Amino acid sequence: MNTFISTLITGTANGAIFALAALGLVIVWRGAGVVNFAQMGQAMFTTYIASNLINSGESYWLAFIVALISGSLLGMIIDLLIMRPLAHKKSSSSTKTLAATIPVIASLGILAILQALAGIFWAGEERGFPTPVNSFYFKNGAGTLPFSAFNLFVIGVVLIVLLLLTYFFTQTGVGLGMRAAALNPEVARLSGIKVSRMRTLSWAISGAAGSLAGLLITPSTNLSPNTLDLILIIAFTAAVVGGLDSPLGAVIGGLILGIGIALVTTYGSPENVFLAILFLLFAVQLIKPNGILGGKQVRRG
Amino acid sequence: MDKGKKIWRKNLIKSLTLGVFLFLLSFTFEPYNQGQLALVLMLFIGVLSLTVLTGASGQISLGQGALMAVGGYASASLITNLGASIWVGFLVAVSATAIFGLILGTAAARVSGPYLAGTTLVIALALPSVANRFESVLGGDVGLIVDFGTPPAWISNLIEVGYEQWQLWVALPVALTALFFTSNLMASRAGRSWQAVRDDEIGAAVSGIPVARTKVIVFVVSSAIAGLGGALYGLRGLVGPSVYPVSLSLTLLTAAILGGVGSIAGAFIGTLIVVFLPDLIDWAISGLAISEQFSNYLPSLLTGVLLLATIIINPAGVMGAGHRRKH
Repeated sequence: MNTFISTLITGTANGAIFALAALGLVIVWRGAGVVNFAQMGQAMFTTYIASNLINSGESYWLAFIVALISGSLLGMIIDLLIMRPLAHKKSSSSTKTLAATIPVIASLGILAILQALAGIFWAGEERGFPTPVNSFYFKNGAGTLPFSAFNLFVIGVVLIVLLLLTYFFTQTGVGLGMRAAALNPEVARLSGIKVSRMRTLSWAISGAAGSLAGLLITPSTNLSPNTLDLILIIAFTAAVVGGLDSPLGAVIGGLILGIGIALVTTYGSPENVFLAILFLLFAVQLIKPNGILGGKQVRRG
Repeated sequence: MDKGKKIWRKNLIKSLTLGVFLFLLSFTFEPYNQGQLALVLMLFIGVLSLTVLTGASGQISLGQGALMAVGGYASASLITNLGASIWVGFLVAVSATAIFGLILGTAAARVSGPYLAGTTLVIALALPSVANRFESVLGGDVGLIVDFGTPPAWISNLIEVGYEQWQLWVALPVALTALFFTSNLMASRAGRSWQAVRDDEIGAAVSGIPVARTKVIVFVVSSAIAGLGGALYGLRGLVGPSVYPVSLSLTLLTAAILGGVGSIAGAFIGTLIVVFLPDLIDWAISGLAISEQFSNYLPSLLTGVLLLATIIINPAGVMGAGHRRKH
């Protein structure tokens, strides 16, 4: 019974991180119409920055803040230097059919560059990443409790971020402007919303969310240029399961994947995790292609 | 009818000319470069499969390497378990991958754009788990050991053939067959109806083209070609998860994009670039004092930069410029 509860709690904590990464994908998809395959590459890069700060003696929290800020800056840079020019480029007849896939290819190129740069700067070998609180299971008089302080920390941080984002997107002018720009760019532009600025903002928020996911997951995966590829796949599946255009769906999808993967790892074998992900992805696309909470016309492009 | 025959003959002459040229050229090469040229031909088939998929449907796949793996495993398990010849292996690889593509295509026809890209990426990542799940047949992490064998007596009596050269001589006719088939297909009635679906689904449907079925067929044909390339690729020594990693799929995609999506000549140029780029870099930096860490990641860095530059400067790729002028 204790194994089951601890599996569930670990699964929820990991699921919260996947939810965050999936949310990053959904924000850029809604805001800019791009599935950003480079997202966890950006997160890997900023986690390396944090890791270097910590190694040089700075505190975890300073590194934490710096990583989040550099994550959103990196997202903005990618939009300003690459994605915005691509979106504004007039498509010639031979590339019109590729319009939906060109940003995907661009994001793969960005991923390759970020991974190569990380390899060149910080070597290709794995290193660990610290946690701000104890990651061992709690002990009390009767025995070991089935969760750690870090589990609680992760769930708490993600919960706060989700609440902040909900407030931002439903109560603030900028957040509402971003949603309007995503829903109908033409009308939003007529109402005086600077649509391309809103797009850049989506990239920044998504970059910060991805960075946070990277900071929270690397203590359990270690850090190397490629480690976060797996998280991208899980986050993508989570976003598809929940519906690529639904932020709430991304959170639910992330939790489903987190708990599902924990159960498969504990009661099946870790090797079957990928098969389970693939099966889930196929099942959702065949039965409910728009995801659990997705709208009717999700699949643009 | 007459015109179709003309295209057919033109493609045959083109493919044969390329074949004879590469065959003669290979005699002047060192064994290492003969092996590299054989590698170009193997990957070229994989890139062709993407050319068919992207050129005919406008979609990209990040898991084409996994389809190559299906072909590789199909032929390798037949060769190691039943002692079949490699030529039988090729035929089985093509049919097995076509069936796999049919299943995949039925699901993928409902999916488009980034969805297909992500799904195919997951398929490529799931490959090692599948190999482990059916370890007795597929050999698990290690894989199945196969090779090109030795040339038959009537060749080796005539002329001494090195192993790399023999690789090239097997790869050459296979690649030329794929080239000939693909170039005819894209110009045929079927190929043109695929492009019609790509450019305008509703218009194609109005003209009497069954859209959904067409999408599935494109997937089947693309998969079958990838399977052929995969069988050939595996014969270099091993069919296992390490031979068909995700990076293989990305290499194929890079080659297709660099050369020009949908262009057959572009597919060949793109493949040449991705195969010889690491050698070229080694040659270029050999005189410079550069750390190993830097040179290890340099090919990946340059590939990413080339990919981005292609997309930003001319998304139609190297061969795309000519296409655009025609319009």
